Amino acid sequence: MLEVIDLTVAYGPVVALHGVSLTVADASITTVLGANGAGKTTLLRTISGLTRPRGGSVRLDGRDITRLAPEEIARLGVAHVPQGQGVLAELTVDENLRLGGLWRRDPRGQRVALAEAYDLFPPLANRRHVAAYSLSGGERQMLSVGRALVARARVLLLDEPSLGLARLVFAQIMARIKTLVTERGLTVLLIEQNAKGALSVANEGIVLHLGKVVARGRAQQLLSEEGLRHVYLGF
Amino acid sequence: MSRFLVLTLNGLTQGAIYAAMALALVMIWRATKVINFAQGAMAMFTTYLALFAIDHGAPYWLGFIVALLSGLILGAIVERVIVRPVESAPPLNIVILTLGLLLFFEALAPMAFGGQIRSFPPAFSIVGVHLGNSQVAFSPFDAFTLGSVLAVMVLLLVLFQKTNLGLRMRASAFNPEVSRLLGIRVGRMLTLGWALASLVGALAGVLIAPTFLLYPTFMDQVLVYGFTGAVLGGLDSAVGAVIGGLLMGFALSYVGGYLGSDLETVGALVILIAVLMVRPRGLFSLQRLREV
Repeated sequence: MLEVIDLTVAYGPVVALHGVSLTVADASITTVLGANGAGKTTLLRTISGLTRPRGGSVRLDGRDITRLAPEEIARLGVAHVPQGQGVLAELTVDENLRLGGLWRRDPRGQRVALAEAYDLFPPLANRRHVAAYSLSGGERQMLSVGRALVARARVLLLDEPSLGLARLVFAQIMARIKTLVTERGLTVLLIEQNAKGALSVANEGIVLHLGKVVARGRAQQLLSEEGLRHVYLGF
Repeated sequence: MSRFLVLTLNGLTQGAIYAAMALALVMIWRATKVINFAQGAMAMFTTYLALFAIDHGAPYWLGFIVALLSGLILGAIVERVIVRPVESAPPLNIVILTLGLLLFFEALAPMAFGGQIRSFPPAFSIVGVHLGNSQVAFSPFDAFTLGSVLAVMVLLLVLFQKTNLGLRMRASAFNPEVSRLLGIRVGRMLTLGWALASLVGALAGVLIAPTFLLYPTFMDQVLVYGFTGAVLGGLDSAVGAVIGGLLMGFALSYVGGYLGSDLETVGALVILIAVLMVRPRGLFSLQRLREV
């Protein structure tokens, strides 16, 4: 279980997150919605340790991880896929995937995990030894999710995975992620501007506005709230 | 033996040393986007350490190992103690810091080892070998120089391309932030990168010392030639650095041989300016492959 408790983050005088709290239950998808500048990316960066909060804490299965370095948080099973997918463009698909699990020092498990990632995303298998910069947007997204799989991540943080992807490709990738949630108990925190698409796959939804939580609830329920949709979600 | 062949062989050996220096600079450039202007001075210092060991009765080989090992350690210390604290500062700050480090080592060396010019023993004879009746301008020490530079390069290539450690180091150089998100301890990779680069630089120092004589600024010239080679090759390409370094060796050997040895430094400058004007990215830059 991932818990964010009263998190406040500021860049100099600019407060990006203002006492944000949320809980992501195991084996579920929670989506955080909001316009540009709502603080969504800051939230993910703070959870994965890239940004230091001014106050509040982040807990993973009850353990306080607020002050840990990003590489240590990753080693606890948190995979953060940054906006633009965080693919290492100069390296091959295979190298990118392998990097996900290198720290485990478990060559046998690594081979199994690699095979699983290629099974889950067959387009990657065909392009195994191709440099990642030549991949399409969809393939890159598959690569970064596959990499989290190789890392045996328990928590997946996705920053705007729909960005630049065709609707159908995005839906396919989210369907795969959903499988991982139900079959392996993967816990997903999904940041999106595309509120409709995100709410249709998520269990829970949270709406951020200017660094504050303005609404939260079951995804289905948020989808049907007229006022909320007009004011914050724009659809 | 024709003059041209003599100059070419000479250029090959010198070029191998410049290639090592260029490679050292490129390794650090790729990892930290900084030109380490202290690279030459660090190599000078480790060469003095090797001579110190030899002066105290160590055989050449032990001195050689002292140079490489102290290079490794010195690189790690410089990264950890000097560069790490200003890691997030603008690159210019770090560049100025490496210039300061250059002055520091060049001031420290005469205090520690004396300022007079010293000769450095070669591992093998520096007299050209005999092929039949004629003497060739290629000595056993030249062969040793070429061989050891080649060996180090092959080892680095294997490390970077074939091992998981090398993969982690490459990832850290390409994108430190994403690498950290993948659980890679980027800090350690940077330290290791500096250490290895400094080892390669130390190799250049210990190999060129027998021909150049040893004094506190003797590596300055090698640094300039290596840097020009690195720029020629494209700064972010290891292969480019090696080829650029070799090209510098040939070019300067011809300039020195045909136009006069006083003009070597000018020749390097001309090449540097020409590259920056005609092809600023260098010959082998990866830049065009990068995604915007």
